[in-house]
Amino acid sequence: MSTDADAQLNSESESPAPARRTGRTAERRIDRRSILRPGDGSMVIFDGVTKRYGEDVVGLDNISLSIDAGEFVFLVGPSGSGKSTFIRLLIKEMDASEGTVIVGGRDLGKMGRSKVPYLRRGIGCVFQDFKLLPGRTIYENVAYALEVTGDAPKSIRRKVPEILALTGLSDKSDRLPNELSGGEQQRVSIARAFVNHPRLLIADEPTGNLDPDTSIGIMQLLYRINRTGTTVVMATHDRDLVDKMQMRVIALEGGKLVRDERSASYATVEP
Amino acid sequence: MRLGFFFREAIRSIKANVAISVAAIVTVMIAVFILGTFIPSYLYVQSTVNQQKSRLDIQVYVADAAPQSQVAALQAQIVALQSQGLIKSFSFISKTDALNQFKARLNDPSILTLLPNNPLPASFDVRPADPAKDGQIATALRTSHAIDTTMPGNGISYAETTTNRLLTIAQFIQYAGLVLIAILLVAAILLIGNTIRLSIFARRREVEVMRLVGATNWFIRWPFIIEGIICGVVGAAISVVILWIAKILVVDPYVSTSTGGLTRDSATTIGFGTLAVILIVAGGAVGAVGSGFTLRRFLKV
Repeated sequence: MSTDADAQLNSESESPAPARRTGRTAERRIDRRSILRPGDGSMVIFDGVTKRYGEDVVGLDNISLSIDAGEFVFLVGPSGSGKSTFIRLLIKEMDASEGTVIVGGRDLGKMGRSKVPYLRRGIGCVFQDFKLLPGRTIYENVAYALEVTGDAPKSIRRKVPEILALTGLSDKSDRLPNELSGGEQQRVSIARAFVNHPRLLIADEPTGNLDPDTSIGIMQLLYRINRTGTTVVMATHDRDLVDKMQMRVIALEGGKLVRDERSASYATVEP
Repeated sequence: MRLGFFFREAIRSIKANVAISVAAIVTVMIAVFILGTFIPSYLYVQSTVNQQKSRLDIQVYVADAAPQSQVAALQAQIVALQSQGLIKSFSFISKTDALNQFKARLNDPSILTLLPNNPLPASFDVRPADPAKDGQIATALRTSHAIDTTMPGNGISYAETTTNRLLTIAQFIQYAGLVLIAILLVAAILLIGNTIRLSIFARRREVEVMRLVGATNWFIRWPFIIEGIICGVVGAAISVVILWIAKILVVDPYVSTSTGGLTRDSATTIGFGTLAVILIVAGGAVGAVGSGFTLRRFLKV
């Protein structure tokens, strides 16, 4: 299955034309305009970013870093280290107290609230708790992401089976989420996040609820997505996984950046 | 197709919260039912009052006992006032004419054969040039000895008192009805709002996912607004059906058998079709307003 999926992923990234063939509506134009464009090759730039909650609780403390387009980055650190704050700033769920957050060449501090939906269409999100809709089938869950962003039915009917095949869920498309295993549910959630082929995929503890073997499967899927050119930022505290992958590791502790290494292991962060 | 998506989502949500949706529908139904009985009743009273107001003629009743000379003198007085420009026209209605007119207004004229004689007085039907000067004309004519002072208004009757009384009643009905309707509509709006609030709560995961994948704010709101409108329109439609049944079973038989003033009266009220359209539109509007308010408060998108 993996070679098949790889081929599909690669062909998809090389020719984005099918996605643009349909729906020449006004909404579609706005949509395209909002697709993230990392001008100088940086997908994410944090410049002196501090986030305070209230008076003296610091979520992030003066963080400066840059993530290139196409990179795979692990964001590690214990609970409360600022991983979630980092991710919430990326999707503009909130704004930085100080400093600049630039995603895909766009300064999020200067972006109006009404533009946020279009920003998020360019970012895929995967969470520890999957965030699937319980009353809907797997197919409907994935199609939902396209429906609510105003995609044409024809294009939805084409894209959903495609992404389900890619994530190995074709035979599960009529099942409900609670009929699936945790690993399968996380695949659905990844399918939903990637169905629009975003330039940036954010995964917040995607393997947090899964056993090690299943986690590796999810990891492989994310890696394949990364190889299509999608930037992947994955927050985790799964030590084994990080050690195995040997990718760039950004370690946070108490809101501070304590380590930023390429091809690194989880270790040295926690004694 | 987007409209299709909104409707599917709204219906899905109504099905998921059946109890609360039914509560909202019933409240709208009751409010609209009362609105539906009030509107035609009010318009009927209003129409009656307007008719009364246009009936501005002064009735000058002539005593049966008055000698011909006094009646002629009265007529001369009226002609004099007409030449002054106060009176536009007048006509003499004999006792027989009066009886015939009365017969025409009865459902069963044969009842009059039971009368030993004609009890109705002769009268002058005086049409003033300016209705506001009714009082002045009445004062001028009151000097005549031919007038039957046992009749209403001491023998000179004009619409003023009746009209004023009717207007007071009509106004009271109007205000009381408006207050009642306002209270019920507010209740309906609040209950629909509550329905939508619960629906937002029940669908918080959907809303979360919608925000996550980049649905615009209006895209998130529309299903809720449509849900409110559906509740409002369904409640109003049920109420229209009940009103129609009430009209067929109660009002229509009553009007056709009644010997009261409802039958020969030419006062009109609203047609049922128009009423139904107004009520259903009102129900939809109540639903939209109810969900709109709640979305502002509870759905920070």
